[in-house]
Amino acid sequence: MPHLVLDPHLVLDKVSIHYDGQAEPAVELVSIDVAKGDFVVLVGRSGCGKTSLLNVAAGLVAPARGRASINGQPIAGPGSDRAVVFQNDALFPWLTARENVAFALRLRGIRPAERARRADELLELVKLTDAGDKRIWELSGGMRQRVGLARALAAEPEFLLLDEPLGALDALTRERMQTTLLDLWTASDVGVLMVTHGIEEALVLATRIVVLAPGPGRVVRSFEPGFSRRYAAGEAIRTIKADPAFAAARGELTDAIFEGEAA
Amino acid sequence: MTVTSYTERPGHKIDEADGLSVPWSRPSPKRKGVSARAVSVVTILVVLALWALSARLQLVSPVFLPSPVAVWNKFVLVARDGFVDATLLQHAVASLGRVFAALVAAIVVGVPVGLAIGISTIGRGIFDPLLEFLRPIPPLAYLPLVIIWFGIGEPSKILVITISMLAPVALSTASGVRGVSQERINAARSLGATQRQVVRHVILPSALPSILTGLRIALGAGWSTLVAAELVAATRGLGFMIQSAAQFLVTDVVVMGILVIAAIAFVLEFTLRRIECVLVPWAGRE
Repeated sequence: MPHLVLDPHLVLDKVSIHYDGQAEPAVELVSIDVAKGDFVVLVGRSGCGKTSLLNVAAGLVAPARGRASINGQPIAGPGSDRAVVFQNDALFPWLTARENVAFALRLRGIRPAERARRADELLELVKLTDAGDKRIWELSGGMRQRVGLARALAAEPEFLLLDEPLGALDALTRERMQTTLLDLWTASDVGVLMVTHGIEEALVLATRIVVLAPGPGRVVRSFEPGFSRRYAAGEAIRTIKADPAFAAARGELTDAIFEGEAA
Repeated sequence: MTVTSYTERPGHKIDEADGLSVPWSRPSPKRKGVSARAVSVVTILVVLALWALSARLQLVSPVFLPSPVAVWNKFVLVARDGFVDATLLQHAVASLGRVFAALVAAIVVGVPVGLAIGISTIGRGIFDPLLEFLRPIPPLAYLPLVIIWFGIGEPSKILVITISMLAPVALSTASGVRGVSQERINAARSLGATQRQVVRHVILPSALPSILTGLRIALGAGWSTLVAAELVAATRGLGFMIQSAAQFLVTDVVVMGILVIAAIAFVLEFTLRRIECVLVPWAGRE
């Protein structure tokens, strides 16, 4: 499949992942295509290889077979064109929130004044305007994930890889973060590949949901729920969630995830 | 990250500085007015009183056990007039100079060695057996060899102290490096960090709390090696002072020297803990 660089894609093509010392492959023949502007969410039961696939896209794990590529170029390792946000924020506690956000800029040798300015812009974008000078341990879980998000965005990635970034948050903080994510995605042309356990979260955020099943990990269904497009078009998130179509989609998605599992 | 400190940190205490409390037993509600610190003060006073009493009653000859007052007077005298051609301060400065020169050498060698052990398999293969060989040898055992090889000058003394500091510095650094979370390294790499940048910007700062703990232990080890290092051909230093006082049975100077060494060790330990609090305020908060 040839890809035009003018139409950037993050592609996993018939990827199999095999970890050393395991008889079964973790993932077999999975293909995922994320275009810029897409919001693709991977869901599935534990052990279906969601995070492994994300790590292949990040360049942290090499596939046993198949091809991972970005804009037609094979993925050989991690790169700032695909910034990752991890479940445990993985922030650097020896730096302030602002310095964490500016980390990618510092790696590129951008001058301190300039990177502080850019970091403050990003902190404002994730609604943490006054937290720049705070130490990481002074921040709540939700604030830390916002810093993690801003830090990833500072690298000006073409694609954002989110590994259950909201998994450790309480329900209310989680809902707020979902809107933050949607706002960021709507305002930019970044492509997102996200792993989550939350069924509602997947429905709210995704332009496409890929359902994986374990043993070995494979794609069983693919949905295009379209609720996030409605949010982008200006509809309120509460209205969307109250829509009977949302409840129906949730039922369908839940069935797809637990399909084939003994009841 | 894993907590590698050997003792609890100030500001993050398990409970009051009570060496007997174990982590799995809830400290019993404190009786009114009794704190561990008060008990410690009383203990020290009782020991002093027993010492004064036995000196006073001449249970032991003053040649062997001078009274606390005699030791104090000697302290004032030596501080002012000196002992064996140098004042107490000059002795202390000579000793501290050696220990700190050794500390710098131990950091310059030990931290990179620790990094190599923690980061690379080859580094671990090379340095681990060497350190494990060196670590349990008492300084007095390799002192003669160092003198044969390097003479009786100042470098030999510093070298002996450095050797005793090397293992704690290197091993603490290595354990700090191994404790760095993979997720943090992955995060840095996905933000575009090169291998070198990962070491500089992620691994070193992550290992810093552990490195500082290593320095604290090393300083203790070096300070206790001091007397051994100053046994040979020194003309100044606290160890030398004690040594020469012992040869003339000037017991009050010996006792005073021991107390001064202990006091300085205490101050060093305290200072390093403060430095840890300032440099790595995040330690123990994750």
